[in-house]
Amino acid sequence: MGIKGLTHLLADHAPKSMKELKFESFFGRKIAIDASMSIYQFLIVIGRSGTEMLTNEAGEVTSHLQGMFTRTIRLLEAGIKPVYVFDGQPPDLKKQELAKRYAKRADASEDLVQARETGSKEDIEKFSKRTVKVTKQHNEDCKKLLGLMGVPVIQAPSEAEAQCAALCKSGKVYAVASEDMDSLTFGAPRFLRHLMDPSSRKVPIMEFEITKILEELNLSMDQFIDLCILSGCDYCDSIRGIGGLTALKLIRQHGSIESILENINRERYQIPEDWPYQEARRLFKEPLVLSDEGQTDLKWNAPDEEGLISFLVNENGFSSDRVMKAVEKIKAAKNKSSQGRLESFFKPVTNTPAPIKRKEATDTIPKGVGAKKAKNGGKKRK
Amino acid sequence: MLELRLVQGSLLKKVLEAIKELVNDANFDCSSTGFSLQAMDSSHVALVALLLRSEGFEHYRCDRNISMGINLNNMAKMLKCAGNDDIITIKADDGSDTVTFMFESPTQDKIADFEMKLMDIDSEHLGIPEAEYHAIVKMPSAEFARICKDLASIGDTVVISVTKEGVKFSTKGDIGTANIVLRQNTTVDKPEEATVIEMNEPVSLTFALRYMNSFTKATPLSSSVTISLSSDLPVVVEYKIAEMGYIRFYLAPKIEEDEDETKP
Repeated sequence: MGIKGLTHLLADHAPKSMKELKFESFFGRKIAIDASMSIYQFLIVIGRSGTEMLTNEAGEVTSHLQGMFTRTIRLLEAGIKPVYVFDGQPPDLKKQELAKRYAKRADASEDLVQARETGSKEDIEKFSKRTVKVTKQHNEDCKKLLGLMGVPVIQAPSEAEAQCAALCKSGKVYAVASEDMDSLTFGAPRFLRHLMDPSSRKVPIMEFEITKILEELNLSMDQFIDLCILSGCDYCDSIRGIGGLTALKLIRQHGSIESILENINRERYQIPEDWPYQEARRLFKEPLVLSDEGQTDLKWNAPDEEGLISFLVNENGFSSDRVMKAVEKIKAAKNKSSQGRLESFFKPVTNTPAPIKRKEATDTIPKGVGAKKAKNGGKKRK
Repeated sequence: MLELRLVQGSLLKKVLEAIKELVNDANFDCSSTGFSLQAMDSSHVALVALLLRSEGFEHYRCDRNISMGINLNNMAKMLKCAGNDDIITIKADDGSDTVTFMFESPTQDKIADFEMKLMDIDSEHLGIPEAEYHAIVKMPSAEFARICKDLASIGDTVVISVTKEGVKFSTKGDIGTANIVLRQNTTVDKPEEATVIEMNEPVSLTFALRYMNSFTKATPLSSSVTISLSSDLPVVVEYKIAEMGYIRFYLAPKIEEDEDETKP
């Protein structure tokens, strides 16, 4: 999913665009979260042992509810205001990719049957994870749960990442959280990874800023989109033999996919016959999103205590003690979220009076260092 | 080359004790005019600004501006090794990635060198504009610390309101409510025991007590504290450091839920 190898490419070529931040530093921020991605993660990870999953009395899987409930509370407790965005209809171009995934799942199901026969526990777990699919029912359950928790939900007309990016561009949210790097290709100004990871893993949150990425890679937004398409995205195949690094070189050299196609050695690189890169580009640049003010009104409400109990405890077999405690947490968090941030009063000074740092000095201004060394040398001689 | 000699070494110890609870890592900025620090807590709700002017040091040499990234807990650990009467000298070479703290006993019969590793911290500097505050309250620092501690045992937040009657600190919690009113009082023997209230406009703001209590760790630095309030600004809690500078804490107020829909 997402853009192949983009994280590594950025780490190597635009290290300043990535920042590791603590969970707490997002205090008071509104953040758009790609819900489908999170639900998928919950289904894979939570409450699983072998092929057994967390279920209610009727045998329906409840891992997604469990995950959504606890992680959302964790966000609320940290003073973060989440908005969940759900996927709508996938664009036509993605169908090919989806078909591939479907086939992989089918393969995995077969493998699973085999693994059951041979009885290797690891294999069973491995293949059963691969058969996981987020169904409509899972999405509906989560929407209902979030509604009861008082957390806003947005149904995207098409791709959730695109909708998240649009919310962030219009300033309705501070950042987009997903594990899918194509949020950046959709132009999300600020993109977060690992926000939804369990606290036990202690992974710092990685923040990407698109302006810094473009600055460091020395590309325009259009060129960055072309780079992502060349690296490999969900919408069309990539050219065999061109990965992220080559793509970056080519874009820097030629400026756009069109000009690369004119100049590239066609014998060495086989361009796929049916290669809808222009449409993929259009999908990234003008994705189908809700932009109407009214439709994306974000409101965080008080939790519906009775509703949560009847949904989680009565229908899905959660322990009523735990749900009660969680409701208390949501209420307490609500109070906490009213704390203001200093940045809403004082603006960061971009040009800090703070002088050049020691290490940067050696990296970026070799001249200055030379002069300094000479000085030091002089001193020693005295 | 940086060399700062502070005869009253205990002062630096107190400064560290005052800020290390709020901030973990920070850059100390040294220029020819003084030794300063600005840092926010991890949730960006509170900010501490410290200034020790060069005149306050017995010897102050700073050839070029440098900024030293320091883990404050580690620095506090080292400073704990200095005696209360010791003279502390801070030394750093240009381009070096360590800083040295030298402790001299008053009788000069013991000299200790502690060298500490520096770290790279990329921190945002906030521009803090000069502002006219609606109300400024000057009161004994111990009294303020006591009030914050007492109120924290009842509730989580404090409402500070200044009217012409005086300044009122109030809170409420599960077990009940508390209200403490201080009136202007300048008829005391010592000026630092006075409570002086200057008010242009009545003001009432809500703050998290957790942060206020962390600010009061600076109480040993100064016998009085100045609290400046404006309805549209963070509160400033300032402790003057005699003849040297100040330590100022800024805290963003709590906001009402309805107004809250303005910024992402």
